[in-house]
Amino acid sequence: MERSSGHKIRLGIFVILGTIIFVSAIYLIGQRQEMFRKTYLIEAYFQNINGLQKGNNVRYSGIDIGTINDIVMVNDTSIRVIMRIDEKIISHLKTNAIATIGSDGLVGNMILNIVPGKGDARMIQDGDTIETFSKIGADDILSTLGASSENAAILTSDLLKITDAMINGEGTLALFLNDTTMSKDIKKSVNNLKNASYSATRSLNELNNIISNFTTNQNSVLGVLLNDSISGQKLKSVAVNLEKSSTEIDTMLSRINKVVSDIETGEGAINYLVHDTTLVYSLRQTIENVNEGTAKFNENMDALKNNFLLRGYFKKQERQLKKEERKANKDKE
Amino acid sequence: MTESQKTYHSEEVKTDKQVILEINDLHKSFGDNHVLNGFNMKLFKGESLVIMGKSGSGKSVMIKCMVGLMTPDKGRVNIMGKSILDLGQAELDQLRADIGFLFQGSALYDSMTVRENLEFPLRRHMDRFDSDLNTEELVIEALENVGLADTVDLMPSELSGGMQRRVALARTLILRPKIILYDEPTSGLDPITAKEIIILMQNIQEKYGTSSIIITHDVDCARVVGDRMILLIDGINYKAGHFKELSLSEDPKIKAFFKQ
Amino acid sequence: MNSFSFKLKTFFLEIGELSLFAGRFFKELFKRPFEYSEFLRQCYLVGNKSIVLVGLTGFIIGLVLTLQTRPTLAEFGAVSWMPSMVGISIVREIGPMITALVCAGKIGSGIGAELGSMRVTEQIDAMEVSGTNPFKFLVVTRILAVTMMLPILIIFGDAIALYGSYIIENLKGNVSFQLFFNQVFDALEFGDILPATIKSFFFGFAIGLVGCFKGYFCKKGTAGVGKAANSAVVYTSILLFILDFIAVFVADIFYEL
Repeated sequence: MERSSGHKIRLGIFVILGTIIFVSAIYLIGQRQEMFRKTYLIEAYFQNINGLQKGNNVRYSGIDIGTINDIVMVNDTSIRVIMRIDEKIISHLKTNAIATIGSDGLVGNMILNIVPGKGDARMIQDGDTIETFSKIGADDILSTLGASSENAAILTSDLLKITDAMINGEGTLALFLNDTTMSKDIKKSVNNLKNASYSATRSLNELNNIISNFTTNQNSVLGVLLNDSISGQKLKSVAVNLEKSSTEIDTMLSRINKVVSDIETGEGAINYLVHDTTLVYSLRQTIENVNEGTAKFNENMDALKNNFLLRGYFKKQERQLKKEERKANKDKE
Repeated sequence: MTESQKTYHSEEVKTDKQVILEINDLHKSFGDNHVLNGFNMKLFKGESLVIMGKSGSGKSVMIKCMVGLMTPDKGRVNIMGKSILDLGQAELDQLRADIGFLFQGSALYDSMTVRENLEFPLRRHMDRFDSDLNTEELVIEALENVGLADTVDLMPSELSGGMQRRVALARTLILRPKIILYDEPTSGLDPITAKEIIILMQNIQEKYGTSSIIITHDVDCARVVGDRMILLIDGINYKAGHFKELSLSEDPKIKAFFKQ
Repeated sequence: MNSFSFKLKTFFLEIGELSLFAGRFFKELFKRPFEYSEFLRQCYLVGNKSIVLVGLTGFIIGLVLTLQTRPTLAEFGAVSWMPSMVGISIVREIGPMITALVCAGKIGSGIGAELGSMRVTEQIDAMEVSGTNPFKFLVVTRILAVTMMLPILIIFGDAIALYGSYIIENLKGNVSFQLFFNQVFDALEFGDILPATIKSFFFGFAIGLVGCFKGYFCKKGTAGVGKAANSAVVYTSILLFILDFIAVFVADIFYEL
């Protein structure tokens, strides 16, 4: 019954070792539960990984399906991200799936989202590469649009100032003695407005082209993202509204143009005096309409900006603009 | 029985008597400390055997080996024809009921009352008695034997050392053992109380006719209570004989015991 | 170097003996006869001896935890999270651990000293020769009693701690009794309570086992008894932290699944 102390010491060592092995086994299981599961490695190439790290989660339609296994810099513009994906999920992944990088909550970790692609494609296999979506391309188009609309807003406010001066100012007669300069000012403003409107239309056309391209060519990366989600639909309707506003601006501009040319051709002040009140009023009304139109345009533009896909890039654009302004101011000084 | 107590016997006379307990070549060591080096002894039915030895000479170890509280390294212990080292737990428990053990420091359970203390051995061994006896009667009877019937509801801590020793003796007796082992029955007691205990032991011997082994270093106790004694020196049975023979011995090692 | 290897050897020897002791407990646990009345008596003693102490420490921990956390939460304007936060931290970790440590001091040392003195005064030997298996009578009943009673004590301690927390919340934030406990129980899930309760059985077992082990194999003399009681508390506390560590690890895995 009595056991020798050597036996007891061996038992003690055995118990301690057993405990250590048990704890470390639990640790390993807890650390990477996929240790005992079969996993696949797939790759994706990014230009910018926004602080993604090894071990971050990979999600497929919101489900955790694996972790980031490795991140390798391939060359100066592309980064290879290798993901370890659970075997069970891999049978649902197709080669046309798209990887994007997002963040998990307000202050959360970065995650890699995989969005299923549209249409038929081969099932994914170990070592395959999937496409990625980087938001920079789409953003460039929309930022030019933003700039145009801002220009339009500035110009219309200029026009308003002039007409305000006409109505409230030093009386119509006195004003129109300075006829030429005044009309020149108006003309210049209106021309600028026209230019802006043109560029806006051009941008809009571009956007329209892209959007229709999305709809027709469903395999395009952005197309999938836009077609698939509600935000894509919203984006389209916003673009339609923009177009409408832009044409409205156009018609109004032509009316202003007509008035201004009337002033010019109607041989200056005397003729003008006859038509004084009505003319100014119509001018003013027109400009107000223009204003309304640009306001609408801006509204739509804001809606576009607030679209989640493009938010970040507009912000960046704004920052850049401010920076340039500051620089310009400095240069002036 | 009274005759054997009063008259002196030599080994030869005893041999025709029944051997009730026998120890052969008992060895026990703790690490490098060899306590018992081949101890031999025989206990005959009805006799009182005193084993004397210095403190630390292995008396307590030996007595614990007898009831299986310790396992010897080597040797055999036979009690009433059974080798206790070969017994299973159940058989050992049955055999132990025939052996009373009075511990050195009384060893009363201090979380229990005197009654509970005395009832404790009965928990497993009520089958030894006629069915018409109940525990209460047995407890009172045992306490009356030691003259402490009125302490039945007290806690051991409320008793004096001598009373505790007597209650412990009552507890030892309650199963009516055939052999009683006394481990230093008078240690830690003043001479008068020690004397009371010794008288009590003699009375019990007469009343129940038990055989007993008394382990002590108290010479007075050894003289009064023992029929025969064995001197335990250097882990062996150095010398056996009657008190008178040994006390007159010229051997310096033996003389050292009786100098006190 | 020599003394180091000696220490290592005694350490492993101790662990080995403790393991054998635990093995013996499980072996004797299922052997008849079971000392039922002694078990109940021990349950009563263990619970009764510690309930006031557990209640008091739990109450104070509840007060202190709430007082300490409140300013931080107030800074974030998240004082309304107080009940759920306190509830979860008390039920999951603080309650079991504090109660177990208090009981290790109270029950563990008590058992160590009691069995130690019984060993020294040969009461354990006396039991053995009177036909009662002292291991079953003393050790099995005590370990089992502590194992069964500690979860109850821990739940009691949790409740008192939450009550203490409520008092502070009521004084400082005018939170009603009903609101406080509604929020606490809203925040608690089965996954919080179950691991904590399972864990507390192990805590109880550890306290009983080490206390009995140290007492049962007490060295001779009064110094031995003191040492048995002292080392019972020290070893139990260390063992409790190790157990807690393992329990949290294991619970974490199940929590994730």
